[in-house]
Amino acid sequence: MKNAVTAILYAPGTNCHDETAAAMARAGGKSEVVLTRDLLDGRKKLGDYQAAIVPGGFCYGDHLGAGRILGTLMVAQLREQLEGFLAAKKPLLGICNGFQVLAEAGILPSRTPGKRSMALLENQSAKFEDRKIRLAVSPEKSLWTDGIEGEVLAMPTAHGEGRPLFCETTSAPATRVAFRFADEAGKPATKYPDNPNGATASIAGITDETGMVLGLMPHPERAALPAHYSQDGLKIFINLVRWLLQS
Amino acid sequence: MAIHSVYTLSKDDAEARNWLAFFRRHGYTDLLNLIIERVYWLEGVVKVDALLPLLANPLYQVTSPHTQLDLNQGPVVEIAYRPAVTDPETPSILAGARALGENGLEFTRLSKRYQFIGLEEQVARKIAARFLYNKIVERVREPHETVTTLHPTGKPDPVMSVALALLRDDQLVKLSRDRSWYAPLEQMRAIQSLEKMRARVLTDAEIEILVQSWSDHCYHTTWKSLGLLKRLTSATERIQHPLVVSVFKDNAGGIEFYDGWVVTIKGETHNFPSSIAPFGGVATKHGGVIRDTLGFGKGAHPIGGTTIMGTMDPRLAEEAVPEGALHPQLILTESIRATSYYCNPMGIPMMHPIYRCHPGYAKCLALGHSVGLIPKKYALKDAPRSGDVALLIGGETGRDGIHGATVSSTGMTGETLERESAAVQIGHPITERRFTSAIPVLRDADCIRAITDLGAGGISCAAGEMGSETGVLLNLDAIPLKDQSLTAWEILLSESQERMLLAVPPKKLDEAKEILNRYEVGHCVLGNFTNSKRLEATWRGRRVVDLEMAFLWGACPIEPLDAEKPKRQLNPLNIPEPRTEKDWGSAIRRVLAHYHCCDQSAAGSRFDTTVQGRTAVGPYGGRNHLMPTNIAVSAPLYGRPYGVITTVAMNPLYGEIDPAPMARLMIIEAITKAVVAGADYREMALCDNFYTPRVRPDVAWDLRQMVDAIAKLSVELGVPFISGKDSSSGTFVAGERRIDVPLTLAVASIGRVPDVKKIVTKEFKRAGNKLVLVGFSNSTALGGSVYADSFGQRGDLLYEPGPKNSIVRVWKALHRLNAAGKYASGSAIAEGGLALRLFEASFGSGLGARVELGKGAQGPRDAQMFGEYVGAVMLEISKEAKLKRLFGTLPYRLVGEVIPEARLVFTEKGKVVWQDSTESLAAAWSKTFREVVE
Repeated sequence: MKNAVTAILYAPGTNCHDETAAAMARAGGKSEVVLTRDLLDGRKKLGDYQAAIVPGGFCYGDHLGAGRILGTLMVAQLREQLEGFLAAKKPLLGICNGFQVLAEAGILPSRTPGKRSMALLENQSAKFEDRKIRLAVSPEKSLWTDGIEGEVLAMPTAHGEGRPLFCETTSAPATRVAFRFADEAGKPATKYPDNPNGATASIAGITDETGMVLGLMPHPERAALPAHYSQDGLKIFINLVRWLLQS
Repeated sequence: MAIHSVYTLSKDDAEARNWLAFFRRHGYTDLLNLIIERVYWLEGVVKVDALLPLLANPLYQVTSPHTQLDLNQGPVVEIAYRPAVTDPETPSILAGARALGENGLEFTRLSKRYQFIGLEEQVARKIAARFLYNKIVERVREPHETVTTLHPTGKPDPVMSVALALLRDDQLVKLSRDRSWYAPLEQMRAIQSLEKMRARVLTDAEIEILVQSWSDHCYHTTWKSLGLLKRLTSATERIQHPLVVSVFKDNAGGIEFYDGWVVTIKGETHNFPSSIAPFGGVATKHGGVIRDTLGFGKGAHPIGGTTIMGTMDPRLAEEAVPEGALHPQLILTESIRATSYYCNPMGIPMMHPIYRCHPGYAKCLALGHSVGLIPKKYALKDAPRSGDVALLIGGETGRDGIHGATVSSTGMTGETLERESAAVQIGHPITERRFTSAIPVLRDADCIRAITDLGAGGISCAAGEMGSETGVLLNLDAIPLKDQSLTAWEILLSESQERMLLAVPPKKLDEAKEILNRYEVGHCVLGNFTNSKRLEATWRGRRVVDLEMAFLWGACPIEPLDAEKPKRQLNPLNIPEPRTEKDWGSAIRRVLAHYHCCDQSAAGSRFDTTVQGRTAVGPYGGRNHLMPTNIAVSAPLYGRPYGVITTVAMNPLYGEIDPAPMARLMIIEAITKAVVAGADYREMALCDNFYTPRVRPDVAWDLRQMVDAIAKLSVELGVPFISGKDSSSGTFVAGERRIDVPLTLAVASIGRVPDVKKIVTKEFKRAGNKLVLVGFSNSTALGGSVYADSFGQRGDLLYEPGPKNSIVRVWKALHRLNAAGKYASGSAIAEGGLALRLFEASFGSGLGARVELGKGAQGPRDAQMFGEYVGAVMLEISKEAKLKRLFGTLPYRLVGEVIPEARLVFTEKGKVVWQDSTESLAAAWSKTFREVVE
């Protein structure tokens, strides 16, 4: 589709929407910052967009838990739109706080809005961790990592709650790991700070079973422009734009 | 109405683990375990089960209608907000409940139950009081308390009239102190005369407004009396810099950037609140200076910030801490927690996290900068017009921060901590973040005629200043309160954070309200700008304030201050020159491990440095991203190569030797750091922040010398000061003891560069390259140095950076050489001298350096290595390059070469006198700070 527009959701406390839009533009894609208030009040519809990104930040101050309030509001008031979006197999990306929102909403990994199947816990250090990390791309197939499987990407990470906890009893199909924190040798990082939050199995990003929904803690949009120390993150946005063009 | 409660425990509580470790580190080794139980109090007709998905995540949180703590295990301290105060989470919970269809939920509160296993009840309560809550807004909930309602309750005091006419001078002085006005007698007399003039007794609200508008914090009486503000502004006017857009008058200063944009800078200190309540004080330090950016012109957007803390040595023994002061380690660790708490949610990249110590910082230095970006067409405010709406946006108004302006303008004594804790504000970054997003939208829709932030003095200062030409009428009943017990003067003076005041053209009001609603920003019509030339306010149907603007801003008596040259006790340095390999090893380690030189990334890594996607060079770089860069470069316009470069120079040691030369060195250091990275000093501007003791004749003399010095030098260099702030309250009195802060001047530089890719960083680039010291260098450079300090000495002679034109020649040459790509790495010499630069450049590259001592240098060898030749730079140039051709008649000398292995080697006449691996040096370098904060 030529004129596909990607919605970049803004809620109070979101603070990575501008650079995410800049990364999309650099990747050659069209995007629009959409206020979740406009969705909740019915001024806008999620269905009018071909893809969506929930960017980083501290939505609603991360009150009661990172991503908790926005996740709850979206499930309670936008459930049909969300389910329609998922059913239509539209790409959905959650970065950092956006990943936390998708987890709290039950969208990652199990695609079941309203039924949580994972949580992102406070970092093992109990501190906010601002690091430049290595990200090993897993061989799992998905539109996001098409053509970069096995590569090691350089990008920043900056969060206080990024340690994934998965529900053992979840009936949903197994989570697919998309990215792992890597050490100097490119192997899954077991030690701090290469693994900045103490993630089990060095998991830094996952997709749902279909691969259409991606959530990751690091920030590809901060490694996407010529001014940045790395442009590896741009590859993920280019993959999204290419997929939108082809579909 | 029924009140339900939900108790939640986390199966994996990193916060509890963190506090446990923290308390044990602070000597509470009997503490075996710490458990935190969170309680939600819910009032109304609600199905609690329906709310559980909002209140807890069953994957890691367990909920119960009753406490899940075994009370026999240890004492429990439950902390909650005071009945009159609303929890910050309350609106979020109510919104979530409504979304879940639970409209019956009327109100909600939170509390936190800390169980201290292994401690006695009173010890637990002592810890809680010191670390876990702020008694101004929070309290300990006693067990078996019965609660009838959760709604904020409390009755305000009535407005009182305060008759001054008959009071004697001593009674005026007493009243001023008893009411925490801290107004000097002359001001009290002026207010007394107003009562006589008006033949009307003033209200407490009117007097409160006057004394705090006239406080040193708001009115800068000390600086005005010494004519210092004028001295600096007229220097800047004389320079007539082509890039300067806005100077001193506005909330920040601005210079022209590229493509029709302006970049701004402002620095603010928040020393008093940070000294008595470091967490709240430092959080609101950031909130306040960020609002200065938001309040620049018609609303700028913050794109970077700094945090600069000066404390006593955090390794100080408990008993050495002055009576009534907090332990510097606590101030330090709490300040780091606060900066992380506030700046990260604000989504503003940290540019310069800097921590310094000095025995004089009993009342700590808490400085923060904010850098902003705004379209040039919105860079200048319009004057509010009669009929414009005074629109108050942001958070609700509470009891926090009352008397902040007057109290922070006075000295600090042991009892201040107890007596004035009401002056501490509490910051909620989410509230400020909301309008940070909305303001550019309001601005670009031309809804803003003028905008300013609410800081010291709260509504009365903001409205009083904004309406000083027209007059303004305020309706205090329109203001949403988070504390129902506030009376009129408290509402007017409250320094509740996260509020801004806008002057909105009437026909734009509806559009402005719609934007604010869509961005979920609270707002209320506070009143109107008038043509009465008066500050007027009504409350509960009564006119409680009616002051002429002319009196408010014109009648403050400025007392002349005596100035007298101080006598300093200075001794020449007496440090044996290192000879043996052992001497050198210990000398280098002393310097690398010094608090001012050591690795401070244990703090820096807790602050987001890349948010906004504008960061080209952050505070840390090199191959391991841990090497201090001493510069910050932002590329604010996405997809464009243009950069904003900022640097900071702040040295608490130099001022002890001679304040005026110290002030000059700070300017030169700040500029040189940027120039060696690739900036053109002709496209830079400066921001000054002074922190000096309570004014006395000797302090007044030094202050004047410092300001004269920087005013003169800025004119000579043609680099203007465009914003700044002074705090003249750096004195702590404990009983007989008076502790003055060292005369402190922090100079921040801001400049523009056409291409961020041309920035040269300090890590070595290639083995075999030559290392050259360019610039003036002489043997006196150890006075006030880190090296001398590591021997407990200061010295009697400060480094003299040479004639102004030789410095400028070096800057011009550097700019030329950088443009031509003639040097591969470069760093400006400052604290730690050449030795620290050699180490950092090696640490950041994995390469090393071989340095020949003595070659072409004068003075002792330790001066060559550790001398702080401010204005000189170390450059890495290709081994083929001809030095003479590159540097011509500039002062320069070859100091050594880059070697392939990561080690430092010092030679003399070709013979190795000392060498060590960078790895082993890094171990010493990275230990000092980490040991204090972790």
